[in-house]
Amino acid sequence: MTPLQHYLALSVALFAIGAWGVMARRSIIVVVMSLELMLNAANIALVAFSNYSPGTPGRGEVFVFFVLAVAAAEVAIGLAIGIAMYRLRERLDVDELDELKG
Amino acid sequence: MTDYSTPLFYIVAAVVLIPAVLMVTFRNLIYSAAAMILCFIGVAMVFVTLNAELLAISQVLIYVGAISILIMFAIMLTRQRSGEIRLFFHRQAWLALPAALALAVTMAVVLSRASFSTTPGPRNPGTSDLSNLLFDQYAFPFELVSLVLLVAIVGAILLARRERRR
Amino acid sequence: MKAAVLLIPLLPLLSFAFTGLLGRRYLKERSHYVSVAAVGISWLLSMYVLVEVERGQTLSWQLYSWIAVGRFSVDIGFLVDQLTAVMLLVVSTVGFMVHVYSIGYMHGDKGYYRFFAYINLFMFSMFMLVLANNFLLLYVFWEAVGLCSYLLIAFWFPKRSAANAGMKAFLVNRVGDFGFSLGIMLIFITLGTLSYSGVFASASTLSGGMATAICLLLFTGAVGKSAQFPLHVWLPDAMEGPTPVSSLIHAATMVNAGVYMVARSNPLFAQSHTAMMVVAIIGTFTAIFAATIAMVQNDIKKVLAYSTISQLGYMFLALGVGAWTAAIFHLLAHGFFKGLLFLCSGSVIHALGGEQDMRKMGGLKRKTKITYWTFVIGALALSGFPGLSGFFSKDAVLTGAFAEGYWYFWIVALITVLLTAFYSFRLIFMTFHGEPRTDPKVFAHAHESPRVMTVPLILLAIPTVIGGLMLGIPPENGHIDRLLHHIFEAAIPAGEHVFGPLTLSLMIISALVGIAGILLAWHLYERCPWLPNAACKRAGRLYTLLLNKYYIDEIYAAVIINPLRGFCGWLWRFVDAGVIDGAVNGAGWLAMGAGRLLRPIQSGKVQGYLFSMFLGLLALMVAYLLFNI
Repeated sequence: MTPLQHYLALSVALFAIGAWGVMARRSIIVVVMSLELMLNAANIALVAFSNYSPGTPGRGEVFVFFVLAVAAAEVAIGLAIGIAMYRLRERLDVDELDELKG
Repeated sequence: MTDYSTPLFYIVAAVVLIPAVLMVTFRNLIYSAAAMILCFIGVAMVFVTLNAELLAISQVLIYVGAISILIMFAIMLTRQRSGEIRLFFHRQAWLALPAALALAVTMAVVLSRASFSTTPGPRNPGTSDLSNLLFDQYAFPFELVSLVLLVAIVGAILLARRERRR
Repeated sequence: MKAAVLLIPLLPLLSFAFTGLLGRRYLKERSHYVSVAAVGISWLLSMYVLVEVERGQTLSWQLYSWIAVGRFSVDIGFLVDQLTAVMLLVVSTVGFMVHVYSIGYMHGDKGYYRFFAYINLFMFSMFMLVLANNFLLLYVFWEAVGLCSYLLIAFWFPKRSAANAGMKAFLVNRVGDFGFSLGIMLIFITLGTLSYSGVFASASTLSGGMATAICLLLFTGAVGKSAQFPLHVWLPDAMEGPTPVSSLIHAATMVNAGVYMVARSNPLFAQSHTAMMVVAIIGTFTAIFAATIAMVQNDIKKVLAYSTISQLGYMFLALGVGAWTAAIFHLLAHGFFKGLLFLCSGSVIHALGGEQDMRKMGGLKRKTKITYWTFVIGALALSGFPGLSGFFSKDAVLTGAFAEGYWYFWIVALITVLLTAFYSFRLIFMTFHGEPRTDPKVFAHAHESPRVMTVPLILLAIPTVIGGLMLGIPPENGHIDRLLHHIFEAAIPAGEHVFGPLTLSLMIISALVGIAGILLAWHLYERCPWLPNAACKRAGRLYTLLLNKYYIDEIYAAVIINPLRGFCGWLWRFVDAGVIDGAVNGAGWLAMGAGRLLRPIQSGKVQGYLFSMFLGLLALMVAYLLFNI
């Protein structure tokens, strides 16, 4: 049977790739997609722990269900923001979002 | 009986990671989205190897089905004008790769230092047990999540709606 | 009774608000209606309170708990006893007369409404000062009357000397008030309370040294407020204010606050013989010191100002030797006749169109009959002419000093009587007798003041004449002694003085000395008008010394003000401009530099923030690994 550490390593790698995408890409849509990768990385870790740990069986899986739902909501909102921004600025560049300063 | 699970895991991990890297590096948004769908399928396969069949199906339904379509629509709705796409990577991209690598290394080190008590054999329950857990013990958070989704729908509509008033 | 006590200060306060707020725009020349009416009603109520107190009713009334912090509690409350009633009598009567008089005197002034507003505020503060039932409240209104004094001295503030005189009065008073506040704090620290009743009840538990310290600090306040040496310098300058103000504040009421306060604190002073001696010495010295200056001054109001200082010295002498009742009696009598004298001088100044120099007066007797005769009555009272109020009160002071065994004070005070009589009548002869030395045109226009001014003179002359007879007979056991006996019970030395041959002979001596002074003035200024000038030439040095008021102002300027000014200049140039401005500018530079460095961080770009967030996460994990938190 595959050891737990393998799954965790996969999770870490996926999370890092997602973080890279969030930091490196300009398009807001790719940023949102990268965020989804990071969420999936977390989901893998959760399900792996759920499968290997001696605690109550299935708890991690339930957690992942909730993460799925919240992720769906997040994508909807994130993309809506992207579309609103596109309407406003005619561009998808994240750097257009520079109002967050004093 | 030979245990093929570990080689199988490596194949599945490759199905997850290679599309992920491609997704970040593709310049064309449609290609990126396609790579992402592949990655999500890979994650669903990972779930299968972890005895979480219901979750794997949900992953396909929600991510591969719903979220991907949503992203496709967003890409099409915001198609850039000709010659608009010049810069794909951010100014700080050259810093982002080492930062992400450092993040991965430190996380790996942290996790390798931690000791988890693991039990041999599968622990993830079957679909019926999971459903009992979800609709019994976690009924209240479940309802709460439905509320979150409702708010998200309203919010998304409000944000994306074309402004009518002048 | 309670309602009356509450209304006495309240009416002037309301009138102050009314006149002050509406005067400029709406009341203008009608400003006096409300204020005079308010003070008039206060006067009636004061009379009522006096009658009630006469019948043996006193009042101690906690109106409102002002501050209550742990052990420290201060109430706003009234204490009405015999002493308060006497003070109310002086304050309200002279106050009312001055208000009426001011209608005529201030007529046509640009600040007419302002004058009445201020003087109403003063009446309120002064009433509260005498009605207060604890030291803190006393202190608050002590400062409030000081403020009113400042406002009214500098009433004609466009005139530089008036503005400066106001400032001087304020600053000199601060010196005294500082001591006063320290004294009050010391009382609280040692006795744990500030209410009169509490403090006086436990006064005997004070150790001798502590009692002396408290009394001397309190007395410092009195020295400032009542213009005793060495803090007397503000009062002559305060004559820059309108004459009704000089009469009310700087002769009859506010300057008496010091005397009142010491008399009120008599159970404290009774604990310290040293403090009493200091009071007596300062009082006696001030009495003769100011009288000598008054002899040679040429400004009619300055003469009266130094006279006031001198008479206040008498009161402190009386307090110091333990003749408490005599001090209050003299306060009462002096309040009336000095208020009268000032109002008369105002009438003279009014008649001559603002002239204050006596060398340019003379011969006014024919022109201003009423002013002349009331002035003479006041001057006779001041000189201690037998039968008038000043005679009985001053005699009570002198007898008190002698009877307590302080014959040396008595001698000095007796000499002062001579000087007092001399300068009072020098004033009268120079102003009203002889040939007019005024500009003939001005003299031709000289006229008696309108009735609104002369009637208060006449009304004030009445108590000056009969007050002594009513209150002071028989000496040592007159009405006033019986009235105030209860207040000073704790502090009156053992042994009652009964009117006898000794007292009678003392009275005769002082009366003769006073008459001698009058005759001397008559001889010098009426019969041989050339003599004074010759005498002045003969005594050149001494004369200059007196004319320049012993150079006290110059000494203060050299010893205190100029070094202080130099020190302040150094502070300004070095500490303020160098150190403080340097620090402030340095802080500014630091902030600007830091801002320039940090500005890129807050670009507002979301992705930059995200990047920092990941770096932070990284840092946290590295820290976890390194330090094993």
